[in-house]
Order: sequence, then structure tokens, then C-alpha cells
Amino acid sequence: MRVEFAAALKETLNADPSAMFLTGDLGYNAFEELQKTYGKRFLNAGVAEQNMVGVAAGLALTGMRPWVYSITPFLTFRAFEQIRIDVCFHNLPVRLVGNGGGYTYGIMGSTHHALEDLGVLKGLPNLSLFFPCAGDQVQAAVHAMAALEGPAYLRLAISAFAKAGRKPLSENPRTLTRRYRKGGAVTVIGVGHAVEIALAAMESSPSTDADVFGVARFPFDPAADAELWESARRTGRVVLVDEHYLAGGVAESLAAALPALSRTILAARYRKDQLYGTSRFHLEQSGLTPEAVLNACQTKG
Amino acid sequence: MTNPVPVPQLEETAKKIRRRFLGMHFQAKAGHIGSGLSCIDLLTYLYWSHLRPGDRFILSKGHAASALYACLRERGLFSEEEIQRYYRDATTLPAHPAAMAHAEIPVALGSLGHGLPISAGIALGYRIQGEDRRVACLLSDGECDEGSVWEAALFAGHHRLSNLAVLVDANGLQGYGRTDEVLGLEPFADKWKAFGFEVREIDGHDFTAIGRALSSAAGDKPLCVICRTVKGKGVSFMENKLEWHYLPMNEEQYKKALEEQGR
Repeated sequence: MRVEFAAALKETLNADPSAMFLTGDLGYNAFEELQKTYGKRFLNAGVAEQNMVGVAAGLALTGMRPWVYSITPFLTFRAFEQIRIDVCFHNLPVRLVGNGGGYTYGIMGSTHHALEDLGVLKGLPNLSLFFPCAGDQVQAAVHAMAALEGPAYLRLAISAFAKAGRKPLSENPRTLTRRYRKGGAVTVIGVGHAVEIALAAMESSPSTDADVFGVARFPFDPAADAELWESARRTGRVVLVDEHYLAGGVAESLAAALPALSRTILAARYRKDQLYGTSRFHLEQSGLTPEAVLNACQTKG
Repeated sequence: MTNPVPVPQLEETAKKIRRRFLGMHFQAKAGHIGSGLSCIDLLTYLYWSHLRPGDRFILSKGHAASALYACLRERGLFSEEEIQRYYRDATTLPAHPAAMAHAEIPVALGSLGHGLPISAGIALGYRIQGEDRRVACLLSDGECDEGSVWEAALFAGHHRLSNLAVLVDANGLQGYGRTDEVLGLEPFADKWKAFGFEVREIDGHDFTAIGRALSSAAGDKPLCVICRTVKGKGVSFMENKLEWHYLPMNEEQYKKALEEQGR
């Protein structure tokens, strides 16, 4: 999603002379063109994330609209208090961009995984969260963020179960919720890029009678997302897939908000004896697999 | 605000602010008295002789908020009604500055180590947009234990933010001990110099010295003024006493403190 992000950001920097990009010393092989093109509006702030977020808040107080980029745990967890106070309390137009949602960074190890980011950010006042389902949704997310007056967070991630050519049937322009499939027995919802696991499940078992959605924005907007709410009401059974720990995750919030009678959440799991590997290895270790989705679909709640 | 204000007038103004400040604290039974008293002279100089229209002041040591409130009231930027609600329910003036409550206080502060990164961002924003505006940021010495202060110092020095002035209210006492015993900062001036600042070290209660330090050209570097101050300054029984970081005054103490401000 990094490449799609760089392209969308370029449009934003072109369209808005007050927009600016700050990176925490990351972006090799992705942002070189931005750096060449935008001069003073491109800033490598160094490996100092707390300062970078505070500086971004200061820039925003002078009327600029900064985008701040790092690997997501280093941005969200290291600089959490700066996000909370400096950015969110003042409702400033600072756009936080974290690369590596969920297990994207795989074998890089647990310091680089982000399985609590949406959970910790979800409770912050004024902050909108965006977690695109796939690379082809990054542009829409960036445009939606750029249009906001307040702060926003963008979670960039790559799914181990991604496959080229998957297209949604529709996308809600306001909430970015995607509908990928129609069915009647169960509503399956992926949180951002975790929808790829559900889509892989449906491809391996095409006769599954499932309505499949991907959500990409928090807070939810039930009125604007009537189609999703209606599906949950109709099927009465919801299966949610989230590449994030269960506690505090978007799936947990959505499960509580939806009107279904029966709910199953498949989420990332921490284990004291866990081992390390590719993002796919981690998903399998957590039981976040297409097979698990199919099992959940076949179980009566 | 650009005309130099004579020192006797600044001294008289600072006394008025101290009286108001003590009254607010007595009425509210609020602590953090020592921390406010140590920087009232600095705030007086900033608001009467340094800040120009369009400049920004960031009180990074948010626990001195009541000193800033008293100063802004004296400057006519706060109403008496607002001041009367200090530290009470339904106030816009809590013990530490609140978010978005007043134009004069652009950010919520109270968690240490936040003001300098924000100030550096403001200074950079002005520069990028070609605006001839300045930022002054007041830190406490204890606050310099925070790593984010030094991240921001590195940043400001590297980017040569010459429109940024950092004042450190170095009263030598922090939350639970003397700064030299808790986490020593010396050689303090050398640290700021090494991070790319032009450094002045002065008596933070001497208006002539404050003025000279703030107006001395720092070339293309950010300026750091280490202001050696006395915690509890102006109230003899509070001076250099750790407990006045926390204690409220009883009536007798309040009367004595007020007497010492003269009339």
C-alpha cells in the first residue's frame, strides 16, 4: 500500500499548498520522488517520533496540514501521548500514517507488528481511523482524510492472503465500506485488509452462502452503512475477521454495534510460546485463516 | 509591546501579578505556588516587553498555569469573571491549561516534554510560510528529564530555528527532590550549546538581564536562556522549599505572603 499511498499523497500535496509530509526517517524506495519534488514541504524529521508528532501539531497551529509517516508501532505507541494531547485534544489537521498494520512486517518480529494500534487510537477524541481493505482503496482513504478538518490515522497493511484482481461489488463513498459478495445465511466482515482472508475462504468454497463486506473507517456510520446493518439483521449471524488483537479492536466494537443475534470474531492472538515467521505464519498461528472463516460460517451461533 | 518598558514598571507589574496569583491560590486552596512564583518575572517580561502581535508563547511547564492566567488577566486578555472561576467546577481555567479554551493559550499543557516539540513546529511553520513571527517556550528544569525535550532541541538546532527562544525556569527543584540530586542536568548550558543553541545564562529575576538575553542576536541559531530562579520567589517562607510545589496556603500564610508584596 506504500506505493499507492505515495501516489495519492502526491495528488494531495499538489492540490493543497499547505499540505506537508514528515517521515520518521523511513520510506527508502518509496518517497524519493516526493522528496525531490516538494522541497521544504518534505521533511525527514529523523528517528524521533515524539518530536515529529509534536512538530506536526505546531505546524498545524500555523495553518499547515501535515502528514506524518512511520512504521505504525513507532508512530502510534511511541508517540501516543503526543497524538492524544497535541493532535487530538486540539482537533488539528494532522494526518498520521502508519505502515505495517497487523502482521504485515512478518519476520521483522513483534516490535514491528501492530496488533493494538486501532484499539488504542479508537478511543481518542476527534480522531478518524482509516484502514483500507486493499491497495486500490488507499487513494480514496487519502482523499477522505485530506477533506477532514480534524485529525486522522491511516493504517497501511499488506495481507498474506491478498490476491490481485479481487474487486468489490460496490463501495460506499462516505464510509468506504465495501461489499464483495452477496449471500443469505451469514454476514462476513473483514476489518480492512483482513477481508482478504474472508475472500480467500469464499474462493476456496464458492457455494458458501455468505454476504461479504470489508469495513475501512472508524467511527462507524450505521445510517450511511444501512446495507451492512441490514445484512446483519437479515442473516442474524455475523463473522468478523480482524488482524488485530481481540480486545479493543474494530471487530469487537462492530460486533457490539451490529444487530445480529450471533457473532464470532476471529482475531490475532498473543501466546507466550509464540514463534516467529512470515505474516502468513503468524496468521496461521493465530487461527486467522480461510479455513477458520469457513468453519465459522458453517457453525450455527 | 516592542517599546522597552522601564524596569521599575516591570517590577511593579510583577508585584501586582504576584498579589493576584496569591489571591487566586488562596481562594482556590490550590497548590503549585512555588512553581508559579519562580516564573512570574519571566512571564512579566515576555508579555510586557518581548512578545509582539502575532508571536506565540507556549508554557511547556503547564503546572505554572495560574501564573500565566494571572499575567494574562493583568494584561487585560482575561476577564475578571474568568479568573474568578479558576480551579472551580465549570471553569475554562483548570490547574493545567486546557485545550482550546482560550486563544492566548493555544495548546493543553501539563504533561511535561510537549511544549518544545510544538514550539519547534510553530517556528518551522512560520518560516516555511515566510512569516516574520517568533515563538517563546518556557520549560522547567525538571522537565528537561524528558527525552522529547532533547529530541526537539536536536531538531531546532539542526533546522536553525532562529525564531525560537527557549527559556528554562531553572529553580533547581523538581517534583520530589533537588534537580542535581534527582537527575543532574549539568553542564546544562553546554548541553544546549552542543545541540546547536545560542545560550545565555542569567538571573531569572533580573529584568535587565532577561531583556539583554532575549534581545541578543543569536544569528541563525535558536536561543536558549537558562534563567536561574528561586522557587517560591517573593514569599520568604516559600523560597527554595520543595513543599510549596504542593501545599495550599492557610489564611495566616496568605496574609504574610501578601504583606511581603508591599502595597
